[in-house]
Amino acid sequence: MKLDRRTFIKGAGATTAGCALASLPGSLAAFGESTLKGSAESVASICEMCSTRCPISARVVNGKNVSILGNENAKSYGGAVCARGGAGHSQLYDKQRIVKPLKRIGERGEGKWQEIEWDEAYATIAENLNRIKAKHGAESVAFSSKSGSLSGHLFHLAKAFGSPNTFTHASTCPAGYVVAAKAMFGGKIKRDLSNSKYIINFGHNLYEGINMSETRGMMNAQMEKGAKLVVFEPRFSIVADKADEWYAIKPGTDVAVALAICHTLIEDDLYDKAFVAEFVSGFADFAKEVKAYTPEWAESISDVPAEDIRRITHEYAAAAPHALVDFGHRSSFTTEEFEMRRALYAANVLVGNIERKGGLYFGKKASKYNKFAGENVAPTLAKPGVKDMPKIDAKRIDMVDEQYSLLWSSGGIYQTILDSTLDAKPYQLHGWVMSRTNPMQTMTDRARIVKTMQKLDFVVACDIYISESAAYADIFLPESTYLERDEEVVDKSGKSPAYYVRQKVVETIGNTKPSWLIWKELADKMGQGQFFPWQNMETLQLFQVDKNTSLLNKIKADGWVSYGKPLLLREPAMVKAFSVSYPNAKPLDADGTYASQLSFKTPSGKIELSSDKVEKMAPGRGVIRYREVNMKKADELFFIQGKVAVHTNAATQNVPMLANLMSDNAVWIHPITAGLLSISSGDAIRIYNDTGSEEGHALVTPGIRPDTVFAYMGCGSKNKELARATGKGVHCGNLLPHVTSPVTGMNLHTTGVKIAKI
Amino acid sequence: MTKRYVLVHDENKCIGCQACNVACRSENNVPESVTRLQVRIEGPYGNFPHLHFKYNRVSCEQCENAPCVKVCPTGAAYVNDDGIVSINEGKCVGCLYCVAACPYKVRFINPETRVPDKCDFCKESRLARGEEPACVSVCPTDALTFGDANDLNSEVRKLLDTKQNYQQKVNLGTEPRVYRIPSRRGGIKA
Repeated sequence: MKLDRRTFIKGAGATTAGCALASLPGSLAAFGESTLKGSAESVASICEMCSTRCPISARVVNGKNVSILGNENAKSYGGAVCARGGAGHSQLYDKQRIVKPLKRIGERGEGKWQEIEWDEAYATIAENLNRIKAKHGAESVAFSSKSGSLSGHLFHLAKAFGSPNTFTHASTCPAGYVVAAKAMFGGKIKRDLSNSKYIINFGHNLYEGINMSETRGMMNAQMEKGAKLVVFEPRFSIVADKADEWYAIKPGTDVAVALAICHTLIEDDLYDKAFVAEFVSGFADFAKEVKAYTPEWAESISDVPAEDIRRITHEYAAAAPHALVDFGHRSSFTTEEFEMRRALYAANVLVGNIERKGGLYFGKKASKYNKFAGENVAPTLAKPGVKDMPKIDAKRIDMVDEQYSLLWSSGGIYQTILDSTLDAKPYQLHGWVMSRTNPMQTMTDRARIVKTMQKLDFVVACDIYISESAAYADIFLPESTYLERDEEVVDKSGKSPAYYVRQKVVETIGNTKPSWLIWKELADKMGQGQFFPWQNMETLQLFQVDKNTSLLNKIKADGWVSYGKPLLLREPAMVKAFSVSYPNAKPLDADGTYASQLSFKTPSGKIELSSDKVEKMAPGRGVIRYREVNMKKADELFFIQGKVAVHTNAATQNVPMLANLMSDNAVWIHPITAGLLSISSGDAIRIYNDTGSEEGHALVTPGIRPDTVFAYMGCGSKNKELARATGKGVHCGNLLPHVTSPVTGMNLHTTGVKIAKI
Repeated sequence: MTKRYVLVHDENKCIGCQACNVACRSENNVPESVTRLQVRIEGPYGNFPHLHFKYNRVSCEQCENAPCVKVCPTGAAYVNDDGIVSINEGKCVGCLYCVAACPYKVRFINPETRVPDKCDFCKESRLARGEEPACVSVCPTDALTFGDANDLNSEVRKLLDTKQNYQQKVNLGTEPRVYRIPSRRGGIKA
């Protein structure tokens, strides 16, 4: 051995933090070393580290690493990728990843597993689910999944099996704004942040909960185009820091400020009367209701000064229609989400920013776009029809109350799985099949989920890791990561049609399978194979593009194809450019726009500021109205949570590179509050309430209201399988009570807590 | 010097998301226990509600007058013709003088190669292929701009000519080639 100074250092050098844990059965560590097999050329694909699903470009480097960058063909994504996206390969070859099917051999949740073959896994599931079906009916098995490409195939299996009970994470995160949009506009609406000149934001922290095109769009509007950003949020988040004005609003009172903005727009005569007259129904009732919601009234509730609300509203109206009030994303602040999100939409409708630059707009998919163009500018995608799918007569477990009827296509009320299992409401559940979903963290009242898991006859989990929820499964099915999967072509249309596709970057490591194949093979075993007539992903893709192989090849090679010119129906310059490009385009209105073509899938065909339909569904809620909410006891502090840029909700805490960046969540406490409790930064604390108790540590910071504490969500896992995440930080779901909000079916993420130094 | 590669970090656009940190690790195979690049979100500073964060990029400053090069007894630390402070692994004897001399505390011993390591603007990998450094190409908010400041038409030159900027610890005379555009909240008021 050559002895020099460097080898000396090598001997004495610090070792990297080694993982001394014995490897889990079925983990990549137990499976043994393997090199990555994949092309050194860039493959265009789709990220899956969060739900935004950005277009990426990835290549294998020297058989041991994958370089993941953004796809530059997707202009609004700018070739960028966030920390989570860039760390995708660290999940791919994580030694703790599960690459073999597992069978539980101890008690549920005890953590004793045995490796089995796929055949045995399928046979066990088929036997148990078919037994439950024969005894209690197919509807007594619930199916839940991460939404998007992953849910499609599982929910298809659910239908083939005969159960109507399919759920996504909707009621734990986005359903509030989706349901409110459905009630008002008849469907989803998007925001054109990149062209906005004035943005009012109620805690939609796009600079930490990164959605690449929106995050980029907002930063671009702020920095390059001089847009003004006003943020109302109880915590000094990154978006609050980047704002021109930040107001530390009292938690759960956003709706009061939103209604005061609407009040000011109407009472100070700042609203777009022509737009309201032509496109809005229910204005008179709304105006009557908001008459009482003065800025002074809002100040008394929210702590936001009335004069600022009034001034901001005037500034906003002056910038209109190229101005917007962001309707947010995570809509689980209070039980009044339906009114809150409708109030935010109303503040947009009143300034007439619909289908205007910098306002709100509807996605332009190929079929709609082509009708406007009078020619086939963009190809449409087909869906394979399946013959003789069983007709399901059983009612969904969440379909017990008319007021929730706007919700189901958005994924249902996830937490009713617990009610149905524990209280047989409206009937008894016996089985749960879950795929890439982690309700132990994202739902509320963790203890109740444990009880549910223990009561069920049979639980299946399909995932990459044994998540906190998957830890309670009877059978664990290891899914291939997104870097190892081919999937269907996806529609990602914005102001014009666009498509992209997920493609395999590396050959599968270990013995995992893509979920579409897992559910197809399971269906075969369960005797439902006839409902999955496609042989493989290629046949499905070819069906989608109507056998147009050159189109499919182009989508695969470029990774992102978009068509036509961006079109907003009421934006004269865009409509003009559109009509010049397409000689057969629909004739323009007299004012040079397509305003007359604007239609809404509501009962009145207009934007419903007040809704008879909603009034019928949920009496008293037809008109947007303020109701006081009580989310904490007098001697408690508000407890709020939020997203962080290096993790996705409860999904990435165990990914090595991301765990290395953040594995713990400190509880933010204002110095005044901390002083009263004799707590300093770094102190061990207990945070507790009637629902649960957690231990963590304090971060004393002026970046939070004195009556509020904050923690980033997703930490503090309680099952040993997630070795990097377990026992680190506070588990928010263990502190949040089980509450279901009216109309939206949302669970509730704001509650009261007490804090004590340990 | 034919080229004068510099990096400009716009602290207004930076959101501290660590995309640069992760991309750097992947591209340069940086072991988990050490880091070539991170952005520290410092603060908040000020008094409630008048607060601001500082987004502090921590990586090699590519000094024109580099202490690490001056103290290296074997010439293993050297400045390339493009201005990038580089390391010749073959010449390194592991004396750690360079690690001690760096006033920015950004040099470390790579636990795998046992050689001092640090940011080199991805010169062996991406720059060699004619691409921008990994951090620059992935940045979600375009907060980073990289280029040859000797080129009058370069983006970096335009930025430095038009935006107020600063370098860290200029009093030491190291002449860093990482420039920062201060945040308008908490930054130097123009």
